Amino acid sequence: MALPKRIIKETERLMAEPVKGISAVPHEDNLRYFDVTIDGPGQSPYEGGVFKLELFLPDDYPMTPPKIRFLTKIYHPNIDRLGRICLDVLKSNWSPALQIRTILLSIQALLGAPNPDDPLANDVAQKWKEDEKGAIETARQWTEQYAKP
Amino acid sequence: MKFGHRFKETLKKEGFPPDWVESAISYSQLKKCINRLTNELAELGLEPETLRKLLKHVEDYNAANRGDDDRPLEYLLSGEQDDGESEKKPESNQLFHPKLLFYVNESTGELDSAHLNEETRHKLQLLALETGMSNVRVVEEPQPTESDIPPSSPTSGIRRRAGYRTVEVPLTSDSEFFSRLAAELSGLEDLQEREEKRMHAEIEQLGRQVARLTDPDRRASRKIINTWREIFQVYVESGIFFGTTEVDHGGHDAETAAERFQRFASIVAEKGLVDRLKGSENLRALNRFMGINREILQGLRFGEINRTAMTKILKKFDKQSGLGVRSTFPRRIEYPEFSEHLAKAVCAEVHTQILSSVPQLDDYSCPMCMDIKWRPVRLRCEHTFCIRCLIVMQTNKQHYCPLCREKTVIDACSDNLDTELAAFLKKWFPQEVKQKQRYNEHMAGVDQYGEVYTDKCCVM
Repeated sequence: MALPKRIIKETERLMAEPVKGISAVPHEDNLRYFDVTIDGPGQSPYEGGVFKLELFLPDDYPMTPPKIRFLTKIYHPNIDRLGRICLDVLKSNWSPALQIRTILLSIQALLGAPNPDDPLANDVAQKWKEDEKGAIETARQWTEQYAKP
Repeated sequence: MKFGHRFKETLKKEGFPPDWVESAISYSQLKKCINRLTNELAELGLEPETLRKLLKHVEDYNAANRGDDDRPLEYLLSGEQDDGESEKKPESNQLFHPKLLFYVNESTGELDSAHLNEETRHKLQLLALETGMSNVRVVEEPQPTESDIPPSSPTSGIRRRAGYRTVEVPLTSDSEFFSRLAAELSGLEDLQEREEKRMHAEIEQLGRQVARLTDPDRRASRKIINTWREIFQVYVESGIFFGTTEVDHGGHDAETAAERFQRFASIVAEKGLVDRLKGSENLRALNRFMGINREILQGLRFGEINRTAMTKILKKFDKQSGLGVRSTFPRRIEYPEFSEHLAKAVCAEVHTQILSSVPQLDDYSCPMCMDIKWRPVRLRCEHTFCIRCLIVMQTNKQHYCPLCREKTVIDACSDNLDTELAAFLKKWFPQEVKQKQRYNEHMAGVDQYGEVYTDKCCVM
């Protein structure tokens, strides 16, 4: 099936006007599959880290959301050990007017504002609630250990 | 190279109109003023070094919170009649009455400061006896009703101290300096207003011309529309004076703008868009469009160099006289935002008057498929999408508007077709509409008969 105009346009714009701290490059042999990196936001325990993700646009995109997963290990209450992300706009709150760039920005924002009340990684969320300082320190160590470019 | 020289050269070789050059800040004249002032001060024994020591900056003064004894001198930029009213009058060149004040002991006429050497102290004392004590220059009452400086600030008004008299050091070159600078700044402001008006008229005129040349009801313009549209699209994407992306946002300086403008011109040339503009009237319009942009660029450059000249001359004033006005002067008078303001106003005009004459596809594309919104359906929430995307949504039981999440998609029916917008799209984007129409018909066929459906069956 030919690539829909929408995907072509989105890709072109991502290349021409990249978002600061975010890159998304499609695979040559599969233009629906993107290699993504997100820089950890400043003033967060992820600062200085560069996180790799994979992004796939399903056949019925944009009627269904893109599938996104962290490849880099990350200590975060809304991201589980497999890299799956708990974010409303990737699930029930998806809208076909959202785009790759807006979703990646949302994920970057999630790194800056973890939400332990809606956890995906229960153990991390627990720790985050009981000992926030310690949790942030662990997140910083993981960033140092796994997300250094 | 010295700045004064460079300033003069730039004014000469940039090809600014003569009335602009005349209005420019007279850097070398102001410099001469400073020299005269330095001489005046030197005669009084007030070398810049001494003054710097004596005139504590407000911040130092507040931070240290020391007694008044450490601050025997004050330099004020406001005049006595500075009651807020005189500031409104643009012709009042006498707005600035800078005063160099010092305090003397009323009974002895003795100046109280340890920082002064014997000779200077003597001279100042003589001066006090000559002028201040004879009441001519004694400031009787403080004027705390300053218009724009809060009265709590120690620089505002003149502080009275018991047992002391305030004496003004008679200086003339400093008033000359500030009057001149203030007059020139207001002259620049007038110039800017004139230019803005002139450009406004020109842009409006060009806007009408482009609208006429691209009127889709006119036969001759049918082929030209796309060329103009492409030119304007490249123009908008070039972001010459302002950036609109996440990384590059806000206004550009003259250098960046010039670079972007150059790039825009070369893309237009590369794409052969100039050759595609048939007829001399189209070419003339394009030349005018380029000309307007060049003028904005020139205004930007003129503003920048004048602002630099002002900063430099104030710096020089402080360095050579030691009077320390650079922190207070800009608060008294704003440098007219010549460049930025003009560029902003004129750019907005270019967009509303000229570019809007030719609608761009991006403004009429469906936020879901990013193709033209054909056929346009206006939901109850006033958001419009193409019919194809909404049909897909309804089939998927996605009931909420993609933009505002209101439950409006489910209610959409043939009544929601926006016929007015449809007519507009058909008029301005005939090719795109035709293409999308074909695609929609094809997809409807696929929906009905499955993936194997091709258009050719349809003809049978």
